[in-house]
Amino acid sequence: MMSFSKEQRIVELGDVKFGGQPGELPTVLFGTAFYGKKYANPDAATLEEVRAAIRSQEALSGMTGNPSIVDIFLGDEESMTARIELVLSEIPAKRPFSADVPESEIRMAVLKHAHEIGISERLILNSFNLAAEAEELEALKDNPPGCAILLGYNPRDFSVDGRIEMLESGAGYLDKGLLQFAKEFGIDNILLDAGATPFDHSAAETLRAIPVMKNRWGLPVGCAIHNTVESWLWMKQYRKEHKPEYLTCDAGSNALPVMLGADFCVYGPIRNAGTVFPFVAMVDKFVGEGAEDYFGVAQGEEHPRRKLG
Amino acid sequence: MLYPWRGEFTVGSIDSQIAIDTLSSKLDFPPESVAIWGQHKTENLGIEKIVANVVSNPNIRYLLLCGQEVRGHRSGQSLKSLHANGIDPEGRIIGATGAVPYIENIPPEAVARFREQVELIDMIGQTDEATLQKKIAELSSVRKEPFGEPMVMEFAEREKSVQMKSLSGKVSLHKDLLVDPYLEIGDMKMEAQT
Repeated sequence: MMSFSKEQRIVELGDVKFGGQPGELPTVLFGTAFYGKKYANPDAATLEEVRAAIRSQEALSGMTGNPSIVDIFLGDEESMTARIELVLSEIPAKRPFSADVPESEIRMAVLKHAHEIGISERLILNSFNLAAEAEELEALKDNPPGCAILLGYNPRDFSVDGRIEMLESGAGYLDKGLLQFAKEFGIDNILLDAGATPFDHSAAETLRAIPVMKNRWGLPVGCAIHNTVESWLWMKQYRKEHKPEYLTCDAGSNALPVMLGADFCVYGPIRNAGTVFPFVAMVDKFVGEGAEDYFGVAQGEEHPRRKLG
Repeated sequence: MLYPWRGEFTVGSIDSQIAIDTLSSKLDFPPESVAIWGQHKTENLGIEKIVANVVSNPNIRYLLLCGQEVRGHRSGQSLKSLHANGIDPEGRIIGATGAVPYIENIPPEAVARFREQVELIDMIGQTDEATLQKKIAELSSVRKEPFGEPMVMEFAEREKSVQMKSLSGKVSLHKDLLVDPYLEIGDMKMEAQT
């Protein structure tokens, strides 16, 4: 439905491509594995559930054409190796994986571990953000990941300009912008995360930031907009008795960034893949058809527009 | 009095001097014994709401921290750090290990008052309701005076801009509809008139 005058870079990681003009490539979908209390000390059955969810996401990806990434939640160092091993044993050999690591110390451990076992090129660090202090910056320099998601979250300013400031100048939290740091560390593959915020905290600016960031840097942009739905107070009550309706909103929220040009969505728990993939494939069909009809942007045979007749 | 702030919690007795943060655990308490309780997920916006609720009710003198820690966010550890150490000039909670532990939407005076107003009882990891109720009874028996007047605040009003700025290039939505980042509101009106 839209086209950017700024050239749009395509980031290629293993067998997955991100970016381009809207409608050019299918939206890449990240499903998060191991998030939640039940994975703290998982038994064999729980681990089998995780494996099944990864296979299911892969099957849905094959069916729709939307590339899939497993986003591994890593909340402690102890479980890091086992979780990464499990995921790598389930995904194709060239497939990158994402590490969702909220804590700085564990991010450093993941970077080091990936370097030691020779999988840094497949690692998407989720995310490089304002919380990185000197030690983490050093770790990124020593063991750069193959790709980093740069988070445009600026707690002082949730406007589009505030989010851009985080990426461009560090917004007063860091000496330089995240983009400049990534460049200096030799991280060539960059994905930008617009940084989803809750309702009443400029949630819509997350969406507005997507075309603005694409227009500014020509890099792939996305977000985890499901977090806005997840933190919606009214919905927290409503979902207790209306789970299917909640899942509809959860999956449906991904239409919003994609309509505004997003190249990837971090859609939340991987068990929701069954709802999310067909939904985003449908949106990709609209966007792809609009891009070809009006701007002459053609899609490959693997795009949902071609695969799902 | 602007109390309680909007959030996911249960309000009990306004006269109680105990507030309870159950972190990621769902726990329930006798409403006559506790002023306010609820879960708490994030190490930034969630903590801001807790501080706002505490300082706007001077009766609250104890903050009981219990339940399972929030993985990744370390919201309990971050709240403990805020109470023990406060924030640095950049708004970062000193000593917090959570993902993005910044306090940006409430004034430093509120943080200072919060630290002074409540005694923090650290029972992180405790989910046994009988054990917690024993603690509530113990705290209720040690009556403290209310902490002066309520401190009422508005969350910081963010500056609103009326135009997009500092952008290059154009986003084309249709041949008759170009989003021009340099276009100011006044010019838009002029264009509409011509």
